[in-house]
Amino acid sequence: MTLQREKRDYSWGMVVDVDKCTGCQACVLACQAENNVPLNLQDRFERARAMQWIRVERYWEGEFPDVKARFIPIMCQHCENAPCEPVCPVFATYHNNEGLNVQVYNRCVGTRYCANGCPYIVRFFNYWEPVWPEAFRNHLNPDVTVRSRGIMEKCSFCVQRIRRGVRNAERDGRKVVDGEIQTACTQACPTDALVFGNFNDEDSKVSKMKKDDRHYTLLPHLATDPNVVYLAQIDTDRSAGESHG
Amino acid sequence: MKISRREFLALGAKATAGTMIFAACGLPERELIVQSPVDMPEDLVRGEDAWYATTWPDMPGGDGLIVRVMQGRAKKIAGNPDHPVNRGKQSARHDAAIQLTYHPDRIQEPMMRQSKGGLYEPISWGRAEQVLQQAVEAGADNMAVVTNPLGGHLEWVAINFAALNGGRHIKFDPTEQGVMQDAIRFVYGQEDPPYYDIANANTVLSVGADWLSTWQSSVGYSVRYGDFRSKEERGYLIHAEPRMSMTAANADLWLPVIPGYEGHLAMSIASVILEERLASSTEIARFFNQIPTASMVGFRPEDIEERVGVSAYKIRKAARHFAEHRPSLAFAGGSAGAHTNGQFNIAATHALNTLVGAVGSDGGVKYNPVSPLDGLTGRCSGDSFTDWEVELAQWRSGNVQTVIVRGADIVHGMPDSVDVVGAMDGVPNVIGFGSVMNDTLANCDLILPEKTFLETWGTTIPDPAPGYEVVTIQQPVIGDTELFSGNGLISDARGFGDELLRIADGELGADDMEELVNASIDQLYDLSRGSVSAPTSRLFRQGVLQRGGWWDTDATVETPDDHTPPNVFDLESAVHYSSTDGLGDGADFHLVPFLSNSLYEGRLSATPFAMQNPDPMSSAAWATWAEINDQEADHLGIRQGDVLFIKSEYGEIEALAYPTPGGRPGVIGVPIGLGHENGGRYDEGLGSNVFKILAPRVEPASGSLAWAGTRVRVARSGRKREVPKFEGEVVAFPVEPGVPVLVVAPGESAHDAEVANHHEYQQNFLLPDSGEGSEEESGGGH
Repeated sequence: MTLQREKRDYSWGMVVDVDKCTGCQACVLACQAENNVPLNLQDRFERARAMQWIRVERYWEGEFPDVKARFIPIMCQHCENAPCEPVCPVFATYHNNEGLNVQVYNRCVGTRYCANGCPYIVRFFNYWEPVWPEAFRNHLNPDVTVRSRGIMEKCSFCVQRIRRGVRNAERDGRKVVDGEIQTACTQACPTDALVFGNFNDEDSKVSKMKKDDRHYTLLPHLATDPNVVYLAQIDTDRSAGESHG
Repeated sequence: MKISRREFLALGAKATAGTMIFAACGLPERELIVQSPVDMPEDLVRGEDAWYATTWPDMPGGDGLIVRVMQGRAKKIAGNPDHPVNRGKQSARHDAAIQLTYHPDRIQEPMMRQSKGGLYEPISWGRAEQVLQQAVEAGADNMAVVTNPLGGHLEWVAINFAALNGGRHIKFDPTEQGVMQDAIRFVYGQEDPPYYDIANANTVLSVGADWLSTWQSSVGYSVRYGDFRSKEERGYLIHAEPRMSMTAANADLWLPVIPGYEGHLAMSIASVILEERLASSTEIARFFNQIPTASMVGFRPEDIEERVGVSAYKIRKAARHFAEHRPSLAFAGGSAGAHTNGQFNIAATHALNTLVGAVGSDGGVKYNPVSPLDGLTGRCSGDSFTDWEVELAQWRSGNVQTVIVRGADIVHGMPDSVDVVGAMDGVPNVIGFGSVMNDTLANCDLILPEKTFLETWGTTIPDPAPGYEVVTIQQPVIGDTELFSGNGLISDARGFGDELLRIADGELGADDMEELVNASIDQLYDLSRGSVSAPTSRLFRQGVLQRGGWWDTDATVETPDDHTPPNVFDLESAVHYSSTDGLGDGADFHLVPFLSNSLYEGRLSATPFAMQNPDPMSSAAWATWAEINDQEADHLGIRQGDVLFIKSEYGEIEALAYPTPGGRPGVIGVPIGLGHENGGRYDEGLGSNVFKILAPRVEPASGSLAWAGTRVRVARSGRKREVPKFEGEVVAFPVEPGVPVLVVAPGESAHDAEVANHHEYQQNFLLPDSGEGSEEESGGGH
């Protein structure tokens, strides 16, 4: 069951066309640069503590020579029924009326319940104080808080860009135009596999893409009702009705 | 609105209570939003940002970029949405490049050593310029100016500065594409690489070139790939390469060809088209205009499948799709050209275009116009390995007094057998420009801190252009001042071009790069055409700088549609590898080095952004790994993380084993870009340099290094280390067990595919005595 919330002008969401994702990782680094995600130094990989608000997973199917690689970008799904939200004892994570699963850093006390509750494993905990050499602080994004040790963080749909875009539109007495606000990952994605927009706008690109027959959501049986919609990869070697197995 | 800390806390308490009370009947969002980190008054950022358009001449493609600048600091690099090559998109490399400017180990000031191998001491710019001037005078008539392939104004300055002082400009590109340029010239008679109209093709057959990741303008090609997949008739990609690169991973049909047999594979595809009459009689007649029909004997898939390593079934499937689903397009590059028969491999692939009428048609090959600016060219290939051997012999013999090097890490990028360091020791004055230390700069006598592309003027001519004339302008996006951080000086750097122009003292017709660029913008203004029109040259200049360049979509050249390929069998078609005799215990493999998706050839390995960006196929970072076919590794007892000795006739490196189903048996893939002895805190001493062990074999026609033609012996060292990689960081969560990524057949809905898989899931996992294979089949994922 989905909680019925009063909808505003905007219902932000993303459509991921898996068929066009090449696995190039441009989104990963664009996100990191935009959102001041801590550097994943070598030890972070070795301790399995690397942070990526968006990651590109790669799966193998088959064996050589009939092997195929599948890429799929995964980020916070901004679920309408987010399992991470009710478990937070301090309301550091909540759902707003624009479809965003919001993380309030200055409330977070680091229980990590939300990360345990998230079936998509897209929440990351700052086990250490992020270290940015003095020189690199020059390029940190001033719009985004640098999180400290003990804080949970995750994809925000580049909320700073959304706020800026909405403010600009309100100042001009209009609504945000489709395509006006882009998250860092969608801006970078060379193939337009990632598209961001307003599901409340029937004419928006994401609304149209969502009607594609290939649309699905991740882990639908959990009824999380994500605001990230995927379009299935097309495999010309597959026959309709065939199982993956 | 100002909020005191007390008011804030009160608001917070109310909001918390409110959340609990109203949780079931709608959230009082206003109270919550006010505490959102970006809406807190103290978090609202003061000051205006600005986006400046520019470009990065060191990276191939000539992509247009925009840089967000705030309070004098560059914050973010993104693609320029106006630019015709990359249309607002970028690669991970572009984002990482910002850390070259703000690198904590940037070379701060000029440094000099008194003797070869001596210690460096900081000196003033005044003293450095004196030394540079003296070195240029001493080197008169025998001086070398060494750069990476640059194109545009920076290359013009390097060429003309060298010529002014009786020297020569020589370019270095470790994965040199000279062989590809020669093949293009041989097949089409064109100097500039053509434009491949991927977006409008229905079938693309690419060979060796990892064009979605690192080859030429990979961002521009990826943009077209997005269009290619979005058409009503979804584009079909066939890719031939020995290892599963990123492009191979995205192909509908991967042809895992044995290294060096790419041209044979192309001719086998041609033989199917001819045998099954899949081309018109006119197309067949054009194909055989210069190629003797007898040459095609022996290329039937069934005759050749063992030699090329691809089944006859797949060759026929590729040929049929290529010929029947037009417009079709074939091109080759990368590792396909890096063999002793590299030119044949590339030319044979391009000859296929004649059989499908691709030359000069939409969705095919289109010739590119030359640069609209006099004397400026695109970013062409480096000089050949043979030319470099001759050059280095000159250095070694003491005939060269002065070498100026910039952007070319020749010590890292050449095989050990060449002994670049020994050659540099034979030159009395080696002067290096750079922003962060590398292995070549560490062997220079005078090191000069160089400004980065965010701090200097220049131009790039995209190579290849998108079918029409394009000039991209590079402008400084941050202030022309010394760079300081809170802790002090980052760098007192100068532009390479600016400094050479200063030393030339007006002899090159300009005092600095800005003057040169402005003169070229004026030249474009005088053309009275193109993307920017303005009543005055000043306004025109502003327009060009705002848009990041100038282009004229009407400035195309005609491509003849009756093209006939030359006789590709005039080229050497037999491949020769290095030997592994006498290399001790182990198993023999074919070594295929490949450019790193984020580090490129090592240009970005100083930056942690690039170092930590996972490789698309292995997800590895911060290390040199070796891709081996998983079944072969199993047979050899090699497990992930085993430290392997990879030995050629010319040396040995270590790499961490990474067994993968995407590796061809008998082939070991090793990424390029690591193994620097000098390179700052994030790079030094990490990984291995695969260039070191390459055999110095060349493609005879172009003299290019056959960098994919080395055979190696691989043995376990007995040591083991975890491969630093993102894979495994998070638990895989399939859509359903065994279905990590939902796949549909053409025309099938996601719902139908889910239903079909759900039934399989029920059978395998929910029913008693269920199978256990499906999760394993998705194994290797995250």
